[in-house]
Amino acid sequence: MRNPFYDFGPDRYVRQKGAAESSMRNRERILDRLMNGYRRLIDEEAQNLLWPVEHERILRAYTASMERIADFIPEAGDIEEFCALLDGDESSLWVPGPAGVFLSALVNASSETKLELRLKDYGRRFHFLGYLLPEGKTLELNGDAGDFCGAALDGGRLVVGGSTGDWCGAGMLRGTVLIRGDSGEHTGIWMQGGIIHVDGPIRGMGEPRFGGEIRTGEPDSSEEGAGATSSC
Amino acid sequence: MPDLDRILEESWRRVRRKHLFPELPAPVWSDGDDRVGLDVRRKRIHLSRPFVLSASPELENHEVVEGLLDHAVSHHTFCPWNFAVHLRLYGRAKAVLRKKETALRALDAFMDVAADTYCVNAKTGPLPKIYRHLSRSPLDEILHGVYQELWQVDLGIAGTSDLCRRLSRLPYLDRRKWDDSVTRFSKLLRPILEETARDSGDAPCAMGRHGLSRYAPDDIAAGLEQLAAESSGPSEFIELVTDFQDEIHAAAEGSRSGMGRGTGRTFSADRLYYMKLAESFSLPVRRITTELSGSLYPHHHTPWEAGQPVRDMDPWTSFGKILPGITQTWTRVEGRISGPEQKVPDCLIVIDSSASMKNPALCLSHAVLGAACACDAYLRNGAEVAVYNFSDASAGGKRLLPFSRNREEIYETLCHFFGGGTRIRPEDMEPLQTSPPADLFLITDMQLTNLDVLIQYLTTCRNRVTAVHIGMNEQIHSFRGSVQGRNNVDVHAVERMEDIPRIVLGKVGEYLAIREPFQTTSGGKP
Repeated sequence: MRNPFYDFGPDRYVRQKGAAESSMRNRERILDRLMNGYRRLIDEEAQNLLWPVEHERILRAYTASMERIADFIPEAGDIEEFCALLDGDESSLWVPGPAGVFLSALVNASSETKLELRLKDYGRRFHFLGYLLPEGKTLELNGDAGDFCGAALDGGRLVVGGSTGDWCGAGMLRGTVLIRGDSGEHTGIWMQGGIIHVDGPIRGMGEPRFGGEIRTGEPDSSEEGAGATSSC
Repeated sequence: MPDLDRILEESWRRVRRKHLFPELPAPVWSDGDDRVGLDVRRKRIHLSRPFVLSASPELENHEVVEGLLDHAVSHHTFCPWNFAVHLRLYGRAKAVLRKKETALRALDAFMDVAADTYCVNAKTGPLPKIYRHLSRSPLDEILHGVYQELWQVDLGIAGTSDLCRRLSRLPYLDRRKWDDSVTRFSKLLRPILEETARDSGDAPCAMGRHGLSRYAPDDIAAGLEQLAAESSGPSEFIELVTDFQDEIHAAAEGSRSGMGRGTGRTFSADRLYYMKLAESFSLPVRRITTELSGSLYPHHHTPWEAGQPVRDMDPWTSFGKILPGITQTWTRVEGRISGPEQKVPDCLIVIDSSASMKNPALCLSHAVLGAACACDAYLRNGAEVAVYNFSDASAGGKRLLPFSRNREEIYETLCHFFGGGTRIRPEDMEPLQTSPPADLFLITDMQLTNLDVLIQYLTTCRNRVTAVHIGMNEQIHSFRGSVQGRNNVDVHAVERMEDIPRIVLGKVGEYLAIREPFQTTSGGKP
């Protein structure tokens, strides 16, 4: 009599592991690594989920973030998935300040020169996007950005498709910030150089400012820039 | 003309083995559309004969059949898996896309990608070949691009778009992340879906739509129960279920036809919510007692020892060996047969639905849930249940349901919310007093304007009374003092709302387990 359990024997069934599963596991590993780095950052920097915005604190968080990803070059897709995780249901992950600083560190550490973040796909408002964005890098934000957008911008080019919150371009050093919508209070406060161009109304100019320009109306060709963007 | 029946039979045998013998009935042919390959109705796969015959000449018939079967079986074994997951994922897609039709289309696409990716990843089959030769709508173009990226197989899509690359990064193979994945999938696909809805309306895709008709009635009942338990409250459940009331009815009732008057139908999602939630608290009370039959039957295994007879050895669990400690032998016990049926008392539920109670349609009312659990227990034990739902009974704020076993009517009366003052009229309950007296469950916050009348009624009636009250107030002290010493009245103080179902279940258990000690289910969800 034939054994009815023959087909269930261990040598009868070999589980395949296809390309989809391999690439999913790779992405999971990368994302786990990013999340571990981010969790350590909020453990160290944001006790009780409290993170007062101070210059020293921001700089320390940024330096710590860069150290966490020192031996890793994030790709556009990794940054997008990190954003999606932050936007997810796990509220303990969401500490707005460190999240934005860590995200800016990822953007700055990426090898890609042009990146796009589809902010309109997320429910949360990300702050500190474009923080210390270096020269030669373009970051396009498709949607509305949060506070401190383009803060301490360091020669890069930040294009915001929607509006920004308060303190846009705070302490900006050089480079360009283009805002298609409105900007909030304290725009350009402590600005030292570069250009902030706002298509829509500016709710309030920041004081003091030590240099740079804030423009409104249609941007000229030098501000517009050109070229395709690689997306993330 | 190829012998399609033979091809189907052989392909099904291969597919069943490949997918580790899923519990599905044998597929059948249908003379459907040549644009849609398959349809699943009540778990049975219907393959479209015109579709298979008109498939590309580059594909053999058996390849098309096997690919379609692979696809259908993967939906059963992986995504969506069951009715509850299906509705939960729909809820996520609907939250993003707002419109039912668009959400359904997004969900269909998501489930196709997940199921096909699982199939191609873990099994060998002709599915990629079929996708390579299918004609494509704009949405299919995107999805096939995603497949090409995910599977690393050339499907003939030239230059996959940025959207395809984004979609292909979602973790379709990770069930735990499906909720987030379907949300992101819907967001990314929204422009294409809206464009498709405008241009081509409700055109089906080649692999068919994934309606709820694919589930058997039992699956729907179990899925609704799971969904009710997982929902954060009635509003979430109601929102999901209301969108599918026609489909749920159709799937549950099937294609009943005939002459004469129909039963008619009503649908109330909040009633369904409490009904299904109460079922997850089901009491293991035996309706009938059993007595020994006098004959022995194999009951359980014990290790065989040298010297024991070899007659009862079980070769299937003994690895083909006769060795003490390894060989298993059957231990026989005497069988039990049904004995005389126990009498289970009927139950009169008295529920307060005044303004001080929670509206069961808006948030989880533990009073209604407690009453529902009690109802469920009595009904399962063959008893009948009557309901007296009152608010300001003197002003007409009351509903009275005579003893009945009709769940729909009972739950409808329980879930009715008046939201007015609180005044009871004991004379309303008089017609429901039977001989022998029914058990009486009273669920209220005791803030009655005529509490003294209620106390007087309860102390004089012959029923066994369980009074469950919420919180603690002056009236409750008064009530407790008045009924103290009465053997037929049990009062339960509820500090937390979640205690209500537990207390009620305990009391029902004591009442109903007449001969054998009763064991309540512990750790049930509130």
